[in-house]
Amino acid sequence: MNVRLLLQTLRWNRVRLLVVLVAAFGWGLLIPIIYSQFADAFRELVDSGIIPRNLMNFGSGSLFTLPGAITLGLQHPLAIAFLGLFAIGSTTTSIAGERERGTLEVLLARPISRTSLYLTLAVAALILVALVLLALLGGQVVGIAVQGLTDELDLAAMPLVVVNGLLLWSAFAAFGLGASATFDRLAPALGLSLAYLLVNYFLEILGSLWTDVAWSQEYSLFHHFQPGEILQGNADPIDFLILGLAAAIPLVYALVVFPRRALAAPA
Amino acid sequence: MQSDSLPPAIRTDRLTKHYGAVRALEELTLDVPHGEIFGFLGPNGAGKSTMIRTLLGFLHPTSGSGQVLGLDIVADSVAIRRRTGYLPGGIALYDSLSGEAALDYLCDLQGAEPVRREELCQRLQMPVSVLRRKVRDYSRGMRQKIGIIQALQHDPELAILDEPTEGLDPLMQQAFYRLMEDLRRAGRTIFFSSHILSEVERICDRVAIIRAGHLMTLQDVDELLARRRRHIQLRWRGTAPDLTGVPGLADLKVEGDRISATLLGEVAPFVRAIASPALVDLTIEPARLEDAFMEYYADEEAAEAVRP
Repeated sequence: MNVRLLLQTLRWNRVRLLVVLVAAFGWGLLIPIIYSQFADAFRELVDSGIIPRNLMNFGSGSLFTLPGAITLGLQHPLAIAFLGLFAIGSTTTSIAGERERGTLEVLLARPISRTSLYLTLAVAALILVALVLLALLGGQVVGIAVQGLTDELDLAAMPLVVVNGLLLWSAFAAFGLGASATFDRLAPALGLSLAYLLVNYFLEILGSLWTDVAWSQEYSLFHHFQPGEILQGNADPIDFLILGLAAAIPLVYALVVFPRRALAAPA
Repeated sequence: MQSDSLPPAIRTDRLTKHYGAVRALEELTLDVPHGEIFGFLGPNGAGKSTMIRTLLGFLHPTSGSGQVLGLDIVADSVAIRRRTGYLPGGIALYDSLSGEAALDYLCDLQGAEPVRREELCQRLQMPVSVLRRKVRDYSRGMRQKIGIIQALQHDPELAILDEPTEGLDPLMQQAFYRLMEDLRRAGRTIFFSSHILSEVERICDRVAIIRAGHLMTLQDVDELLARRRRHIQLRWRGTAPDLTGVPGLADLKVEGDRISATLLGEVAPFVRAIASPALVDLTIEPARLEDAFMEYYADEEAAEAVRP
């Protein structure tokens, strides 16, 4: 790994990281407040039949329990956008983007091996995703404390939620980096990675809202991110294993393929 | 110049690179000794950039081998890049950085001190005020100058420059040529690709001409020029002399008092033949590399035309 490259990569992301961290913390803070202030109102709406009950189970979450609300907050499209910006946006632009711009030439003219370059970018992506995840969860923890809801959760299990979330987003980041290392242009790398994220998200949401196709959730990586279950003491090691494998496979693939690729002159 | 104890700065042995059916380099064998400015000449698409990228480890050879500074181009590419400076053709830089920040960043990644930067900036007229502007605001020439500076700022043993004068104005081209000559005097090796024949002729010690991935010739520039035909024109008072027996003289035309011809090889026999008070005017146009280059290409095209 190259420390100078790592620091520069983080430096290049600092402004958008700061904006996303503030937004993610704010969003995290809102979730316990929404749960505390509006859960009963939503329950009445559901009981009255105006809103279908399944809509309250978006993702694997639920607005009617605090662990469920936390899951909902982390699987909400806003949270996906915050995390996806770095897990997909930054990773796909890192190699394919530099290749398309022509700057990869100048970078690889330095004494940096492609393996080192790839691992440095993977570590940078992991740090960025971890910071956003911590901002989201930090906001939620502060919100829980402010609303006086700490007795509804086992906050000691929070580090496991962080690991679970980090594995999920590492899987997407590794896929993004793998795609970035495979293509010479940004568009196919970004398109493929976004499609991977959206298909996974779609399968999870579809199964949660439509009980007839609940089986589709099993095929989504999002379904193996279960903060609510973990916070209730029901962590499943299989979820961690599946997400770990989903992160490792594209990582190993790119480590094998990228150093062997012919990098012809940019068009 | 070359030290006997050192391996050549660049050595390739039957180096071949194919992209599927496309034969970008075909069994290219050459040596570039230390302290030489070596011109690598060919039109666009001839395989110049492929050769450079293979030497630096961006491309892996299909067959054959190569060493740069005594290191294997496949196994030791990181070590090679530590000791070289590279200017890619049509260089792209980080637009969001200032010129100075881009140079700092790249030098930092190189892991070497920018010992030559100040001198290079001065010679290529890149004052601090320009270096502090964002790269996105630079003209093409300025970007090229930053490219040259980033390749040479750490004073590498070997500089590999892909079409380095692209985008430079004539004044800066002259400054660049003087810079190359100074680097040669300092014992550095320059591998220089170009399709501008006049600059190769001016600064290179030796030149390789490549076409469609094949090495056409590898020679001293002086030797190559000595083998070329000079264009001769002379004016004569009275009856024109009989020059038909002069060795190397061809294309002889007599029109009134004017004689034109081409001369290959030594000039002395020709000068002896025309030494007369009747000679009014004489012009010998020096042999140009461009002619040599065109001849090689014409020969090859003719050879291809008769191939079954």
